[in-house]
Amino acid sequence: MVDSIDSNDGIFRTQNLNLYYGENRAVKDVSISFKKKEVTAIIGPSGCGKSTLLRTLNRMNDFIDIFSTKGEIFFQGEDIYRSSQDVADLRKRVGMVFQRPNPFLKSIYKNIVWGPQIHGTKKDLDELVESSLRKAGLWDEVKDRLNDLATNLSGGQQQRLCIARTIAMKPEVILMDEPCSALDPRSTARIEDLIGELRKDYTIVIVTHNMQQAARISDKTAFFYEGELVEFGDTKSLFTKPKEKRTEDYITGRFG
Amino acid sequence: MSLRRRRLTEKCFKIATALITWSSIAILGVLVFQILKEGMQWVDWQFITSLPSRKAEKAGIYTAIWGSFYLMITTMLFALPTGIGAAIFLEEYGGKSRLSRFIDVNVANLAGVPSIVYGLLGLAVFVNLFGFGRSVISGGLTLGLLVLPVIIITTRGAIRSVPKSIPQAAYALGAKKWQVIFFHTLPYALPGILTGVILSVSRAIGETAPLIIVGAAAYVAFVPESLLDEFTALPIQIFNWTSRPQEVFHSLSAGGIIILLSVMLTMNSVAIFFRHKTQRSRNG
Ligand SMILES: Nc1ncnc2c1ncn2[C@@H]1O[C@H](COP(=O)(O)OP(=O)(O)OP(=O)(O)O)[C@@H](O)[C@H]1O
Ligand SMILES: [Mg+2]
Repeated sequence: MVDSIDSNDGIFRTQNLNLYYGENRAVKDVSISFKKKEVTAIIGPSGCGKSTLLRTLNRMNDFIDIFSTKGEIFFQGEDIYRSSQDVADLRKRVGMVFQRPNPFLKSIYKNIVWGPQIHGTKKDLDELVESSLRKAGLWDEVKDRLNDLATNLSGGQQQRLCIARTIAMKPEVILMDEPCSALDPRSTARIEDLIGELRKDYTIVIVTHNMQQAARISDKTAFFYEGELVEFGDTKSLFTKPKEKRTEDYITGRFG
Repeated sequence: MSLRRRRLTEKCFKIATALITWSSIAILGVLVFQILKEGMQWVDWQFITSLPSRKAEKAGIYTAIWGSFYLMITTMLFALPTGIGAAIFLEEYGGKSRLSRFIDVNVANLAGVPSIVYGLLGLAVFVNLFGFGRSVISGGLTLGLLVLPVIIITTRGAIRSVPKSIPQAAYALGAKKWQVIFFHTLPYALPGILTGVILSVSRAIGETAPLIIVGAAAYVAFVPESLLDEFTALPIQIFNWTSRPQEVFHSLSAGGIIILLSVMLTMNSVAIFFRHKTQRSRNG
């Protein structure tokens, strides 16, 4: 079960967290901790609550009326569901990349600067655009058409733009929900490389259905099954010597 | 059903819809042709720049054109902000509260209220209660009320059609609700909102009954200079000409209709231009 983690060291930590949609308990009694500057992969069969957990970390579930939580989630030691939490500030510090690329219907440039702008950044926007696009590995492809509509980019480029948009906020954590599932293998490879670069500076939590991907890019892996955290540990050992039968069955493709 | 039967049904349906489409276009065509045939002889510079007159040869439509123009400006200045504001409230803030459901039902019903009822409302409220008298502003506000439901309904539809992923992306960057609405939802909904504007102008510019009740004058010898001035409007002038006994005025009214349609198309073309522009930028 959950071992080998020092629960105080996590940038994110949950304690007996239960997540509900109405009566339906989608995440059950999960205690987990995500460490600073590590990539944590969340894997598990469809419907096991991966996205639900991820969207709770930056409170994007607030928009679902029937959603409710029980238990605690700490970000940098503070309960993010306490009443005094500034949700906009939380989301500024915990960025998110979605399954489908969702650029704004605006220019590439505007896509990147809009977030920082609404939080008061006025200076050096050009540099911010360049550095964010460079980090996202998109600069060379778009540097001559920054004023073009972002929605005209290819799917893979759009997703990298969305990552650049998130990076531009200088977040502490980046959450990614199956960021490659709508992309072709080549774009996927590029994004994986990108995650390899980003891990130096950011804490990343990524949901993926692709076991090889999880094995390639993550330091830690968490395996969920029907809302429960079945196994959590170093990616290497989880994939080579799983402790739980269900984990082994899943990673060897016997179900899911 | 066999494949052949299905193909046949498909074909019949296609023919039926095409028939309906073309017959309505044909009727419209005949109508426009009739009006052009009768009215074109009158439409010239003198007609556009002359004041109304008892003699058909000298009669013009100058004051009515400007009256209608100012009316539409007043109508839109009132109805657009109010309607868009109401739509934002209902869509984004109203939630499922009882109040918003109550407003919801009523807006839908108001869209179907006969225009003469709005005229009575305008007479009671703007002309008498507010003391605006029989003026441009009374007429404009009355027409504004009349088109308000249309603007609210089309704007709500436009807001609803914004893909959820867009506000989601903005919220995930830590945006506040008003920022999401102002910077993303509304710009994205703009083409739909402009459709509402087009529908509203088209409706309001032809309305006659409420203006008669609010007190548009049939004979006005000057262009309104302030909102509180007396006014006439194109449909009023047309109505006035058709109700005269002399034949010649009937064909004069066809000339008026041509002007009415032109003014409507001119005003709408602005909205159509912007709609086209915003839609193009969306499709790339
Ligand atoms: N908006 C919602 N309203 C109600 N129930 C929901 C909602 N979203 C998810 N659920 C339910 O919560 C459970 C977990 O869903 P979730 O989307 O977190 O799964 P997932 O692990 O991300 O699956 P997938 O791999 O298919 O994305 C499912 O049973 C699902 O039906
Ligand atoms: Mg999911």
